[in-house]
Amino acid sequence: MTTTTRAWPRRERQSWTWIACVVVVALACWSVLGLDARWGRLPSAPADLYTVGRLMVTNLTWNDLETCVEAMWDSIAIAWVGTLVAAVVAVPLAFVAAENLVPRWLAFGIRQILNVLRAIPEIILVMAFIPIFGLTPTAGILAIGIGSIGTLAKLCAESIEGVDAGPIEAADATGATRVQRLRWAVIPQSMPEIASFVLYRFEINIRVSTILGAVGAGGIGQVVDDALTTAVPRDWGLAGLALIIVVLATVVVDFISGAVRRRILAGPTGVTRVIDEPAIVAELMT
Amino acid sequence: MRATSGEPATATVNVRPTRPRLGWFGPAVTAGLVAFTVVTIWDWNYGTGFSIREIFSVIGQKNPVIEAIGETDFGQLVSPRSRKKFVETLRLAVLGTVSGSAVALPLALISTRIGAPNRAARIAARTISNVVRALPDIVWAMLFVAAVGSGALPGLLALFLFTIAVVTKLTADTLDGIDTGPVEAAKASGARHAQMLRAAQVPQILPAYASYVLYAFELNLRSSAVLGIVGAGGIGERLENFRQFQQWDRLWAIVVMFIVVVFVVDRLSTLLRRKLG
Repeated sequence: MTTTTRAWPRRERQSWTWIACVVVVALACWSVLGLDARWGRLPSAPADLYTVGRLMVTNLTWNDLETCVEAMWDSIAIAWVGTLVAAVVAVPLAFVAAENLVPRWLAFGIRQILNVLRAIPEIILVMAFIPIFGLTPTAGILAIGIGSIGTLAKLCAESIEGVDAGPIEAADATGATRVQRLRWAVIPQSMPEIASFVLYRFEINIRVSTILGAVGAGGIGQVVDDALTTAVPRDWGLAGLALIIVVLATVVVDFISGAVRRRILAGPTGVTRVIDEPAIVAELMT
Repeated sequence: MRATSGEPATATVNVRPTRPRLGWFGPAVTAGLVAFTVVTIWDWNYGTGFSIREIFSVIGQKNPVIEAIGETDFGQLVSPRSRKKFVETLRLAVLGTVSGSAVALPLALISTRIGAPNRAARIAARTISNVVRALPDIVWAMLFVAAVGSGALPGLLALFLFTIAVVTKLTADTLDGIDTGPVEAAKASGARHAQMLRAAQVPQILPAYASYVLYAFELNLRSSAVLGIVGAGGIGERLENFRQFQQWDRLWAIVVMFIVVVFVVDRLSTLLRRKLG
């Protein structure tokens, strides 16, 4: 009996795919049937959104430009200081959460704490902080800071785990102490990536700080919320102006921060184009 | 010493690597960031006046919000109204993710060079994704509340739109980096465009796409908890209520429950993602 070679590769068993599809469809059905969304409004939704957009554009006035720009600056400042608070805590934590530097149980334990921190949305944090700190930027800063620690520390730890072991061995071979090994073998390798993570998280945190205003934490979100929900009648022009400022500011900050990040990762002689790794972008957003 | 060792002369060059020169970039960026930090932290008109001392002094004081953590009212978790809203949050997250991701896959395919020979369609798809992502999902929820009134529908629409944008962007970026071999092979064997997509592109990105869908679900779960604050459905309505009436013991119960759910979902989806990739 000679074994005949098949001309085409055997199709992989796809039972897992099918199970996943069935679960997703079942979940979707459960959601559609149970959701009390008053679906009758759905067909007119695109037209309604268009009307909102038109109202915002036609009522646009530039009188409040200064208010909006100042509020946007507040949001950016809150996002930056919050990111710094997160970085100051997260980067040292990352070294204790990296499996190649500390015992496995310690790294695992710290990872679980980070995962819990990741689970708390910033808006909920700010809801708790406003009664404690009052309507100050501090409430927003702490919410963003604590909300970013988990993600930042986790990614930085993974970056540290990915460093080349060669320099670490070399440092050990020369009799380096623990601190010297960190200073000369680990930090030089992981610092560019860590710095770029911090900057990227800042870009994400600007979006977060723009919405913190929805619960009264100040910044540009407060302007939008006041114009759309508090003001009677709604101040469409102000909301439109504020949204234009938000879009412009995020685009500009993304551009600058993105350029710096790419330069950091590519190095002074870097000729390779650095593309944002989609998986890391997704991880940073959550 | 080296002369007597008999080694060839080339071995005597300095083997220590030269220290990289300090260019203009590092100092310039550092100076810029330091200036930015000083301006934003400083206690003046354009700064936040952030001080760690203030934080510790406030935390040291007695505070009803912090004290309420000790007396969290877990009875709230079985109250019918909270439970109903919690389930609504889950449903919003599921529906927003499923519907948004379904639209995002074809949109991602037409927003890349090999996926769409049509330049106009490509640019349109990219532009939509970029514009939608420029505003946070909660802002979209505010706009939809203004457009169609409050309730679960504006929340769902906001999640739907934002999921499309995020998953499209991530999937398109992945598509840009795929192996073009199978694409060429498909073309060489005479495949039509749709056949090429089906046989050469989709299978390559499906695992990545599935993991982005899981990420989107996590994002949406977090967002759907706060949609209610702007009147767009879900548990956020209850949170906003408890906050307004200062029922912190109840608020903490919901928050704890929510953290547990997100934690479990996060672990599950990490596990699934490992299986995928």
